[in-house]
Amino acid sequence: MRTLSRIELVPASVSRSATFLEAAEALTAHSVPTLAVVDDRGRVVGLFGGEDLLRGFFPGYLADLRHTAFASDDPGILAERARAVSSEPVEKHMRKPVTVDEDASAMHVAERFLHCDFGALAVVEGERFVGMLSRADFCRAVLTAS
Amino acid sequence: MELAAGLIFVAALAVIAFEWVHRTKAALVGAGLVVLVGAIDQDRAIEAVDWATLGLLAGMMILVGLTERTGVFTYVALRVAQLSGGRPLRLVFLLAGVTGVLSAFLDNLTAILLVVPITFLLADVLRITPIPLVLVEVLASNIGGTATLIGDPPNIMIGTHREELSFLDFIVNLAPVSLVTLLAVTTLLYLVFRRQLVVPPERAAEIQRLDAARDMRESPYVKRSLAVLLGTIVAFFLHAPLHVEPAVVALVGATVLLLVAADNVEEALERIEWSTLFFFMGLFVMVGALEEQGVIGEVADLVADVTGGSAVGEGLAILWGAALGSALVDNIPFTAAMIPVVDELGAADESFEDANWWALALGACFGGNATLIAAAANVAAAGVAERSGHPISFGRFLLIGLPVTLLSLVIATVYMLLFQL
Repeated sequence: MRTLSRIELVPASVSRSATFLEAAEALTAHSVPTLAVVDDRGRVVGLFGGEDLLRGFFPGYLADLRHTAFASDDPGILAERARAVSSEPVEKHMRKPVTVDEDASAMHVAERFLHCDFGALAVVEGERFVGMLSRADFCRAVLTAS
Repeated sequence: MELAAGLIFVAALAVIAFEWVHRTKAALVGAGLVVLVGAIDQDRAIEAVDWATLGLLAGMMILVGLTERTGVFTYVALRVAQLSGGRPLRLVFLLAGVTGVLSAFLDNLTAILLVVPITFLLADVLRITPIPLVLVEVLASNIGGTATLIGDPPNIMIGTHREELSFLDFIVNLAPVSLVTLLAVTTLLYLVFRRQLVVPPERAAEIQRLDAARDMRESPYVKRSLAVLLGTIVAFFLHAPLHVEPAVVALVGATVLLLVAADNVEEALERIEWSTLFFFMGLFVMVGALEEQGVIGEVADLVADVTGGSAVGEGLAILWGAALGSALVDNIPFTAAMIPVVDELGAADESFEDANWWALALGACFGGNATLIAAAANVAAAGVAERSGHPISFGRFLLIGLPVTLLSLVIATVYMLLFQL
């Protein structure tokens, strides 16, 4: 990354064979809001973020609703849902990856962030995963540089 | 060229029925091909698109989309669950009734997208399995949508094509039979599902505690949105004496709502389902090619030959044929192809022409209940169910949809024989 070479990337990733629960735990353990799902050759095959975690832990119909202020929490239903989703493969819940090359310009990185709703992008060198670049770290670097 | 137009249309129908690619892609590829092979020239292709249908659909999408933001439909669904008191009989009839009415005055696809997600949440609160309720809603939406010009895409296409038929004509000729059918079908569904819908008393009490109006109180445009939506529905009733087309009513209503209740026009226009509109465009061009090549005329002649020119035979053949075709393919493309056939039949015998339109509407709309792919509302509900972890298989839908369709068609046949033919 030419102009942003001093940003520290976070090596947040899980294997594509990981379960949803393993991915969720890895996500909350790292300081970035999105982690990479990588295959056994280190290639990024998907991204898993907070939105995917919420979609997994909460009932699927929630995304089709827009008015839920009346709803109350039912611990039984949420626990049941969490049990069901925990052992599912992360591959079922990840989304198509958004990646940037290690030498990408700040303009390109900013454009990628503006056109995706992930909190972090996967930085790659060739096909190999290098680390996650969070939106917050990127903004901080832009601010510092300017 | 006649063969090419026919083959392209049948291939597109097959692709749509088997869901090999998205239906809009299939329709647009088919439309492109009929123009490219010369089955219809480009000027005629553009003329073949029924812009009134597209205008009516787009207008209703904006109206309902903007009104939906207010939370009023969630309020209605919640109140229904609360009024049922958790009793299965009340729950099934109230849900079927509300879905039927919403379908009649919004359109059935929209009604399903509004009520099905909230039904999953209600089923969770009531601790009952959601699929029986969803099936009740889907089947009720296709029957309720039959009652009006704007309730179901086949009716929208018929109503905008046949300008002599007003909104009130649809209500007078289709609403009574739809109501009787809805009552009969809901009774059947209640008998089938009643054991799966027993609500524990503590859960029935829980749903009474929910504050149904909370979302509406937080929305700034409730009164304006409801006033414009209701005003538009009233205008539909008056469109014939006012000499205004239904599409104009819908688009004027949408424009007024954009003016008074949309802060961001671009965001409001995102409510338009462009894929649906392009799907219709593709269909209209393919059917235009069939007309241009004389295929429609030949089908009409065949129907007339088979029925021996008898008005009763013709009406019943259209009713049952439309139901069968809709069940196998999808009632939208099937109706698009049948409209010019009914036109041709009407040209030969004007005295029974209106009856044939009602037969087509009843057959296509009721036929939409037979299979999972027969109507857009079914597919949409299946999508929500899948995302909620309760997939509805083709077989499961067929098991309940087919008997419901047969019952509906028997009622429709009696109605046609007694009052129309």
